[in-house]
Amino acid sequence: MLKAVYRIAWKDVVGDLRRRATLSSMLFFSIAVLVVFQAAFEPDRQAATKLLPGLLWATVLFTSLMGLGRVFQAEEENGAFEGLMLASVPRGIIFLGKWLGNLLLTLLVQAMILPLTLILFNVDAWHLIPHIFGVLILGILGLTGLGVLLAAMTQAARSRETLLALLLLPLVAPLLIAGVQATAGVMVPDGQPGPWIRLLLIFDTVYLALAPWGFGWLVEE
Amino acid sequence: MAKLVVSDLHHRFGRHRVLRGVDLTMSSGQCVVLFGDNGSGKSTLLTLLSTRFSLQKGHYKLDDLDAADQGDTIRSRLVFISHNSHLYGHLTSVENLLFFADLRGLDCSEKRLRAAVETVGLAPFADRPTRWFSAGMKKRLTLARVLVAKPDLLLLDEPYSALDVQGVNWLNTLLADFIQGGGMIIMASHDPQRVAALNHQPHTLRKGRLTAQKELLGC
Repeated sequence: MLKAVYRIAWKDVVGDLRRRATLSSMLFFSIAVLVVFQAAFEPDRQAATKLLPGLLWATVLFTSLMGLGRVFQAEEENGAFEGLMLASVPRGIIFLGKWLGNLLLTLLVQAMILPLTLILFNVDAWHLIPHIFGVLILGILGLTGLGVLLAAMTQAARSRETLLALLLLPLVAPLLIAGVQATAGVMVPDGQPGPWIRLLLIFDTVYLALAPWGFGWLVEE
Repeated sequence: MAKLVVSDLHHRFGRHRVLRGVDLTMSSGQCVVLFGDNGSGKSTLLTLLSTRFSLQKGHYKLDDLDAADQGDTIRSRLVFISHNSHLYGHLTSVENLLFFADLRGLDCSEKRLRAAVETVGLAPFADRPTRWFSAGMKKRLTLARVLVAKPDLLLLDEPYSALDVQGVNWLNTLLADFIQGGGMIIMASHDPQRVAALNHQPHTLRKGRLTAQKELLGC
């Protein structure tokens, strides 16, 4: 079963790196957002520290939406989605493979974007990178979990990317708020990220427990 | 010895009833060919037998496995070659077979996958992305899955489409070997001449019901 999860994720990551499709657009979009915000606000170091958590999570959200909109793109070719459904593994395993592939791509983008953000905004928080990235991972786990489920739900729709955003944004709003607050708590000296991190863990648990089951129900015909 | 039993199978899409009580029993070493007009339900029947669709009414068993609640296990014992190749264009021939094998939990060496690619006549294209393959090449690579998986049941939907004369002869040899090895084949076809080389039982699907044609064709 784990081999199947790995192979689906491998197929998605390798496919994306070969086609230079999702990863490059996510990366360029994130850089564009950061540059625009930097040029618009020109914040000093103190203001930048306050601005950064929200900005980071805005890039996470929009780049995730970009990636999620294309998560089943490879399956449209040659009826490959039907091929996936003919696999002898449970549907939940297929979901986990698709989720893992999307998670890895999103984390890869964020791993590149985080240091760039600190440089662009001249924030001295290099020693906090592991903590900030840890919070980002916690948030992205749940965000992509729910996102891949909704992407599967909307894949047959004509304007699926709009529909995906419409469905995803209200549902992940609490997770995003918790993510922003936890990141802010990590970045300020006397911050209290603990309760927000616990909230992120709850969201992750709920989304990742329900999503594989929901996927199985959704794709059954 | 594997056995397939289908009884009183019904299926509808909305208000349109496609299958109205299909019965079919077959065992190892048999080949059933489904004939019928367009829209008669051949592909729907094959898709139901692949367990891609849930059963709405009726029963389907492969040995002791019931499709109602053991679809995953039934899928591990069959290969369904449909109109779509299910290939990923960005993956090479060998990578596509590796992906297929891993999703079935098969422990296949690269050597075995390459041998399957070679058997279907695609050795020079083993490491090329399948995006640039012709329809015939895609069909051959899709059929290589049969060699990799060695299933008990093979479901084929118009398998001769996109194949040239040489390809049709090669496919018939592959299928004859598969039947001789104890496999079961259920195939939908419009072309009695192409399947004539196979020892098969012709059935006709009409108005949602399956009827066996009396004579046994073969060579």
